[in-house]
Amino acid sequence: MIRLGRIFCTLILLGVVLSGCWDRHELNDLAITVGVGFDKSGKEYLVTTQIVNPNEVASKKGSGYSTPITTFSASGVSVLEAARKLTTLTPRKIFASHLRILVISEELAREGVSKVLDGLSRDHEVRSDFYIIVAKGTTAAKVLQILTPIERIPANKMFKTLETSEKAWAPTVSVQLDRFIRNLSKPTRDSVLTGIRLNGDLEKGKSKSVLSETKPSTYLEYSGIALFKKDKLVDWLNAEESKGYNYIMGNVKSTMGHVTCPKGGTISLEIIRAKTKMKGHVVNGKPEINIQVFLEENVSEVQCQIDLLDPNTVSELERIVETKLKQVMFSTIKKAKQNKADIFGFGDAIEDASPKTWLKVKSDWENEFAKLKVNIDAEINIRRFGTTNNSIIVRPIEE
Amino acid sequence: MEQHILQQSLYLDIGLNIAQINTIFGHSSDIVTGELCLDAEANYKIGYVYLEQLVNNSAFQDVTNALLSGSAQLIETINTGFYHPPDLIKNTIHACGKVQTIEDFHGLCQNMLTGETVILIDGYAIALSVNTAGGDMRSVEEPSTQSVVRGPRDGFTESIGTNISLIRKRIKSPNLWLETMAIGRVTQTTVSIMYINGIVNDKIVEEIHRRLARIDIDGILESGNIEELIQDETFTPFPTLYNTERPDVIASGLLEGRVAILVDGTPFVLEAPALFTQFFQSAEDYYQRAEFATLIRILRYICFFISLMAPSFYIAMTTFHQELVPSSLLFNLAAQREGIPFPAFVEALLMEVTFEILREAGVRLPKTVGQAVSIVGALVIGQGAVNAGLVSPAMVIVVAITAISNFVIPSFSMGIPIRIIRFILMIFAATFGLFGVTVGLIGMVQHLCSLRSFGVPYMSPMAPFILDDQKDTILRFPQWALFARPRFISQKNNIRENNAPTTKPKWK
Repeated sequence: MIRLGRIFCTLILLGVVLSGCWDRHELNDLAITVGVGFDKSGKEYLVTTQIVNPNEVASKKGSGYSTPITTFSASGVSVLEAARKLTTLTPRKIFASHLRILVISEELAREGVSKVLDGLSRDHEVRSDFYIIVAKGTTAAKVLQILTPIERIPANKMFKTLETSEKAWAPTVSVQLDRFIRNLSKPTRDSVLTGIRLNGDLEKGKSKSVLSETKPSTYLEYSGIALFKKDKLVDWLNAEESKGYNYIMGNVKSTMGHVTCPKGGTISLEIIRAKTKMKGHVVNGKPEINIQVFLEENVSEVQCQIDLLDPNTVSELERIVETKLKQVMFSTIKKAKQNKADIFGFGDAIEDASPKTWLKVKSDWENEFAKLKVNIDAEINIRRFGTTNNSIIVRPIEE
Repeated sequence: MEQHILQQSLYLDIGLNIAQINTIFGHSSDIVTGELCLDAEANYKIGYVYLEQLVNNSAFQDVTNALLSGSAQLIETINTGFYHPPDLIKNTIHACGKVQTIEDFHGLCQNMLTGETVILIDGYAIALSVNTAGGDMRSVEEPSTQSVVRGPRDGFTESIGTNISLIRKRIKSPNLWLETMAIGRVTQTTVSIMYINGIVNDKIVEEIHRRLARIDIDGILESGNIEELIQDETFTPFPTLYNTERPDVIASGLLEGRVAILVDGTPFVLEAPALFTQFFQSAEDYYQRAEFATLIRILRYICFFISLMAPSFYIAMTTFHQELVPSSLLFNLAAQREGIPFPAFVEALLMEVTFEILREAGVRLPKTVGQAVSIVGALVIGQGAVNAGLVSPAMVIVVAITAISNFVIPSFSMGIPIRIIRFILMIFAATFGLFGVTVGLIGMVQHLCSLRSFGVPYMSPMAPFILDDQKDTILRFPQWALFARPRFISQKNNIRENNAPTTKPKWK
């Protein structure tokens, strides 16, 4: 027994010595990559990485002579090959576990993205909790080269801006790799990605001087949702339609919208709670979709003549909101139908409701989707008026 | 010293006896000898021998006074011839202390060495030994280890007699039994075992007897010597006997059915069997409110793990599992590591060793110099090493929290295995990452579970799991709920108390 123990201990110790610290990397041997961009470069892919200069972003004051990030680009037939090729440019090994954002250029997106995503989803080093966005009208490399104020790491800025705008404004949608791939892998389902736009001069955005401006002349801005059919970008939803998409998907956490008052002028309403139920139905052998939207709103800004203290006004307002909401949602559905892209997962809803009908329509779902009847039922509740009741615009008239 | 002289019986003549004693002790200068004459004609002579520094002078004077003042009466009684003179003398001095009758030189020397005064009676081969033990000793002071905010302030001293009295004063029961023996061929150190009959597990007492009897050594200078000779497992960093300077802790241990082993010459009393959880309990846990005690105990276990694993965890996270570190923290750590010449493991080792050096230096130095060391230490570790670019500031924090956590554990002897195992885990972390740390921890737990303390599983009541004993393991239930003694230590007389949960008056 003791002999056995000794042999066992020796083996363990040998393991310690012989394994030679397999897979060990010191922190200062890593090029921490926070952003990756995919572009088209002839027949090859151009991979751009945004690498953090830890000294510049750490809480301790940096040396000040370098930028918080550096980007490197390399091209290759496959994405990971290009990534390995980057080692000829960077002093350290690319470490992608802390990837925050993946930018795909519009050009590449229009050609199809499934090829470039395979490598990323296969690699064990990459976590799948980064967001994917599309560089609208520009290249991913350019987007990644822009320096951003306040949030020193641009990839982090893109990550956080996407999250906050989705939470508080709703025309963006944060899509992570696994969700995107899941949608791609279903032949009847299509997906969306948020677009990012580069405003201003690229050269200026690359230099640190952009950080010392109170109003940055070059900046990144989310704008619209890219509509994918299969793995190809086919169309863009505008801001309104993007919001409509989020309403349909039940993705709205909080947002602000305005409607026209009965007597002209506008009134802004804040959505404090939103709930959407999507259900498939079969009526006379035809599939239908019922969407129930439930919204709770607060009046947040009044810029018109309206007597909020009158209950009738409130119900009238609710009706106006309902009309507006339906209009927005239908416009989104219309856009999707035009492109024959089921970005909402209507197909899934019908499959859940009636698998038999689904089997019939599945094969020609593209066209079925374009013809699909969608009913929207909205329930709007205006709850509170904030810390005051009637607007100051109303009061002088009453006197 | 030749054995045959010691085994000789005493001579009839005082002078011969004294000469022999002097020979035996090699004419040591601290031997005091003298003769008293009980009557004017010097018919009745009495001799005394003692070791100067071991005897309490006033006690000795009491003895001589008793003899001299009662001499007239004594001689009268002797002259009646009805009584045996040594018995009469024994009776005379009985009031001065416990008296023993000795017949050979061996006993005589032993008694002299424990501070007794030996009285030789002319014409009889008999000596009387009176307990006049004295000599300088420390008074009862507050223990320097295991001090408490609330609780008794007395601590054991180097004198076994004082220590026994401190325990006896707390447990006024005839069932508190004391057995004394001398261990050490040369030192003849008094070792006592104490237990409460009727509560203690007799098998454990028997085992302790057996193990103590097996000791064959020239000298016992501290209870640590005994501990190493009677512990169950030699090759373990974990202590399997508990030691404390606090009589209240020993008293509570006795009440739980444990056995105390007292060694003359040290304030540290041993307690057996000792369990792993015991080293995370402080006397104060039972004097403060239960809620607070529970919280503090949980904190101690947390600190145990911090102290054990913090450096290895840091090494594993920064060299193997960077993906587990939150991004912004990673940037910070990476920035700190820029320009550090050593790998994280060497960095950690460097700091840990530096800390151990400082700690060891601080322990040995006098208090005044100790302060200087701590200043140097703080500057060297905190500032210098970071400014010199040898280690990263984060590593200093890790080492600091490791060190501080170690001091939270109430028992010093449990701090030592943590310090040892920490380094082993660091090596594992540097070679295998968290996988290695986990393997190391599994190994440690296996080892812990294999330990026994006098037959009691070391990890009980956690492994084997005893639900009822969980009341006083990590948690500390209110006093009324702790009605049973720990089940694994003794199965006798298990119920300790019978109290209602609340004494609040009931309203209708």
